[in-house]
Amino acid sequence: MRYFILLLTCFTQLSCSIQLDPLYHTQTYVFGTLVDISIYGEEESQAQQITSQITREFQQIHNRLHAWKPSEINGINRTFTENRPKLIEPDIVNIIQDATQLSIQSEGLFNPAIGKLIKVWGFQRDEFTAVSPDQTTLEALLAEQPKMTDVVMNGRQITSNNPHVKLDLGGYAKGYALDVGLKLLNEFHVENALINIGGNVIALGKHGDRPWVVGIQHPRKPDAIATIALESGWAIGTSGDYQRFFILDGKRYCHIIDPRTGEPAQGTQSVTVLIPPGARAGVLSDVASKPIFISELSNKAEFAKKMEVSNVLVIQEDGQILATPEMQQRLEWLDEDAKKRVRTLQ
Amino acid sequence: MKTQKNVSAHFNNFPKPLLGDWCIILLSLGLIVISFATLWSHQPAATLRIRAGNAVLGEYSLMQTKTLTVAGKLGKSVIEIQQGKVRFKHSPCHNQYCVHQGWLSHANQTAICIPNQISIELTGAKAAFDTLNY
Repeated sequence: MRYFILLLTCFTQLSCSIQLDPLYHTQTYVFGTLVDISIYGEEESQAQQITSQITREFQQIHNRLHAWKPSEINGINRTFTENRPKLIEPDIVNIIQDATQLSIQSEGLFNPAIGKLIKVWGFQRDEFTAVSPDQTTLEALLAEQPKMTDVVMNGRQITSNNPHVKLDLGGYAKGYALDVGLKLLNEFHVENALINIGGNVIALGKHGDRPWVVGIQHPRKPDAIATIALESGWAIGTSGDYQRFFILDGKRYCHIIDPRTGEPAQGTQSVTVLIPPGARAGVLSDVASKPIFISELSNKAEFAKKMEVSNVLVIQEDGQILATPEMQQRLEWLDEDAKKRVRTLQ
Repeated sequence: MKTQKNVSAHFNNFPKPLLGDWCIILLSLGLIVISFATLWSHQPAATLRIRAGNAVLGEYSLMQTKTLTVAGKLGKSVIEIQQGKVRFKHSPCHNQYCVHQGWLSHANQTAICIPNQISIELTGAKAAFDTLNY
């Protein structure tokens, strides 16, 4: 009986501690997607102020980097077309240089210069419709060969050697915002927080006495396929074909365009990468999954190496599930079937 | 009177639990704890939380049949609760991803209509994770 009471006390304390969880959680919509911020262990009014400041900053980044509404990036694209130089803000210089370096590192599979291709596929819209651009249009756009290395930076002055370069930082901006968010949290002396921008997540500190836990979405079910503990400073990002896509004549077209073919990448449902702490953890969580998603299955491991990521999970259209050994150690499977089928990506 | 005496005598004569009995009791308790730990995450959902934009509109029991109309950024989304499950029945959004998600019935399942900025989220006693990567 004594033990039973002891056990009962444990349970009661556990449920009390759950109720007293000092967690502040907020959701807003920025970057055309859901932004979800959790802060642990701060007073509610304080946490509320901090999250609204971070949200404001995100809104600003979104407005400045927007690919198809009037923005600084949009202005740059216009001057490229007109073959004129333009003076830009120092932080935009850094962003474009960083994106260029990552594009080179990915051998052009991450290519934010192909804004025109993204547009003809209808993905440069809040509400896109099923469209299939004709082969002639695609071939003409491919022949223009827009590349990040066409962009020339001279101090704060930007020009392009190729007037067809149309920057679209859709695969970079959310990750960049995660890094900015983490920096702001540190400035506000927040010790424990979790920021999720459209599925890309960065962690700071812990959730009480345990690390933050992130669920990884099953690409075809409304459930998480696995969970993963996200230690302080780590970031996680997924490229998937299930968030922005349309289906035409039974075929799925996702928003990730293969710059080599000019068509939506096929064969992969999702690629998840886990990035260790660093000044660009957020950016890498957004960018590094793209070249792995676009490349053929036999080249995925090689592109993971090129992007310097060692924690990768790949789910293929044909049902294959692959993960690097490091990733397999970290994953806690919720989907028993997936757990049985996982193979090593190498 | 006589019967009662017999019953109390019977209880007095009830053998003291032996080592084996204790083993079975402990084992059963252990089994209960393990079942809790392993099965808890697949619990049926308890509550439905509906959000519009930044605000929580309300929490609803899933154990009812009810249709709710929620005003979002684009227009009205219709959410249907049917004895333990919930779905987006109609939505003013273009791509209808939220409607195609179908019924949700387990804790930690969510359906979000990003264009109309409305989310439905099933919560249980214990969340399996803090946020979702997608």
